[in-house]
Amino acid sequence: MHLLMQQLLNGIALGSIYALFAVGFSLILAKMGILNVAHGTFATWGALSSYWLVFEHGLSFWLALVLGVVFAGGLGVAADLIAFEPLRKRNAGVFAPIIASIGIWIVLLTLAEAFSGPSATSYPTDSVPTEPIRFAGLLLLPAQVISVIALVAIVTAVHLLLTRSRFGAAVRAVSVDPRSATIVGVNARRTLIAVAFLAAAIAGLAGILAALSDNNVSFGIGEALLLKGFAAVVVGGYGDIRGAALLGVAIGVLEVMSAQYISSGFRDAITFGVLLVVLVVRPQGIFGERQLVRA
Amino acid sequence: MSTTAWMITLQFAGVNALFALAIYASLWTGVLSLAPVFFGAVSAFTFGYVAGTLGLSPFLGLLLGAALGAVLGALTAGLLVRLDSHYLAMATIAMVLIGRVLILNLPEYTGGATGTLVPGDLGTWAWLIGTLVVAGYVMARLAGSRFGLAADAVREDPAVAETLAISPRRIQFVGMIISGALGGVAGILQSSFLQYIGPDTFYTHLGFVTLAAVVLGGAFHWLGPIIGAIVFTILPELLREPMGEYDRVVTGVLLVLIIIYMPRGLVDVRRLRLVRSRWWRPKGGGSEPDGPDPRDPRPAVPAEVAS
Repeated sequence: MHLLMQQLLNGIALGSIYALFAVGFSLILAKMGILNVAHGTFATWGALSSYWLVFEHGLSFWLALVLGVVFAGGLGVAADLIAFEPLRKRNAGVFAPIIASIGIWIVLLTLAEAFSGPSATSYPTDSVPTEPIRFAGLLLLPAQVISVIALVAIVTAVHLLLTRSRFGAAVRAVSVDPRSATIVGVNARRTLIAVAFLAAAIAGLAGILAALSDNNVSFGIGEALLLKGFAAVVVGGYGDIRGAALLGVAIGVLEVMSAQYISSGFRDAITFGVLLVVLVVRPQGIFGERQLVRA
Repeated sequence: MSTTAWMITLQFAGVNALFALAIYASLWTGVLSLAPVFFGAVSAFTFGYVAGTLGLSPFLGLLLGAALGAVLGALTAGLLVRLDSHYLAMATIAMVLIGRVLILNLPEYTGGATGTLVPGDLGTWAWLIGTLVVAGYVMARLAGSRFGLAADAVREDPAVAETLAISPRRIQFVGMIISGALGGVAGILQSSFLQYIGPDTFYTHLGFVTLAAVVLGGAFHWLGPIIGAIVFTILPELLREPMGEYDRVVTGVLLVLIIIYMPRGLVDVRRLRLVRSRWWRPKGGGSEPDGPDPRDPRPAVPAEVAS
């Protein structure tokens, strides 16, 4: 029972990072209609750039975290301006953005590989406290606490932003139809760029937290996040970030539990197996009834 | 590059062309799928296992690949073909990823992380060219057949196709079976060329390179994937010397540029026809078609509205 509780906590902490990534990924997928497979590399570059700032320039970890998040967001905007906006202007359909995002993925991943080198490193040990917090016989690392807090804060903020603010209304209008949104006075281009920045910045944060929790900064961070994040978005249901966040946490728990009780080798196969089963049985996702029906 | 290196590169270009044709076969019916990489992996590892113990004849090996791939294609289509395009694309990527996990965790059949050896009987020019000619002939015949016309219609607009009494699901089902058979054969040839296969032989990288090849070559004619695969396999080899480890950056940049500026790829029958009509009537007697070309892949309404 004690082991179960401990692993549940570990799963929730791991899942928080997946969930965070999934929130950004779902913003791009649901609001802009782009399956952006390069999204994982934004996370990688968030981690790599903040690591570089800490090590080469001696910045404090927290300042480097903020700058890394902003840098990742900037990459997202650059990708949108270079690749996705020209395709939107040409009404290029659904496949073209996927293929363009594969191109961006290859470029950013190759550069990340060259930048980070083959060996993995980690943030300095004094970045955040490492002394575990003991609570009723359970151990919790500060990095895990930070991940959970970050998830709750970001999901709440993004959800309120999308549902309660003028900006959120603009995003929803643009995601239904950019042309009509423009007619009623929304600057569609600026709105889409803001969404691209927000989504990539959240990915960058997820990448930094993943690197912090794993004690490992490498170019492969984003690849793992991308697939877990995608699974969370699909299983959670298209279009609602709360569903994506909840399922992200659930995938983390599933992963830790299957590694503990079934087989650590088949851990990823179990996650993707669940993804495929849900796709077959319920293609609209668990919270799929929330999906907007577009005219 | 030395002559031997050129020969090896060209042989891989041929195998990639088969993979690209497999991706093209499903894309033809409007389904973006990377599943051929998974089909190829299953066929290759089965071939490695069977050929190692039974000493299978090469011809039977190819038949095995085609049959296994076709069955897997049919199963995949049966389960996934009703999904939205985004979800289907990612579901097939998930299949490729699951494939790697299975290979790593079934060491008694696949050799696990160390991989397995495969006999090189099929890794010769004769088998490669023979297979490509057969595949090209089948695709060319299909292009003019009832299936080909129906596939074109489904790809342009499934709803319109349905009003023409074409069942999009059935056409896509057939497309996935062809895609599976080609993917299976490509996987067996690939393994026979390499004579060694491991968990990373059939992984996402292969899928992306071949998808890039289809887009570059042109996804609207069966010659496109073949030409695209040849260009896309040779180009990185040529760039390796001046670019070093950054040769893949060029691949990525090209992919973005092509999809923006040449969305129909190098082999574009429509553009060829336009050029030819200009040449034949240089003074121009109204040969330019006015209004949108019905074969134009771009929908008349923005995708956001149409979906």
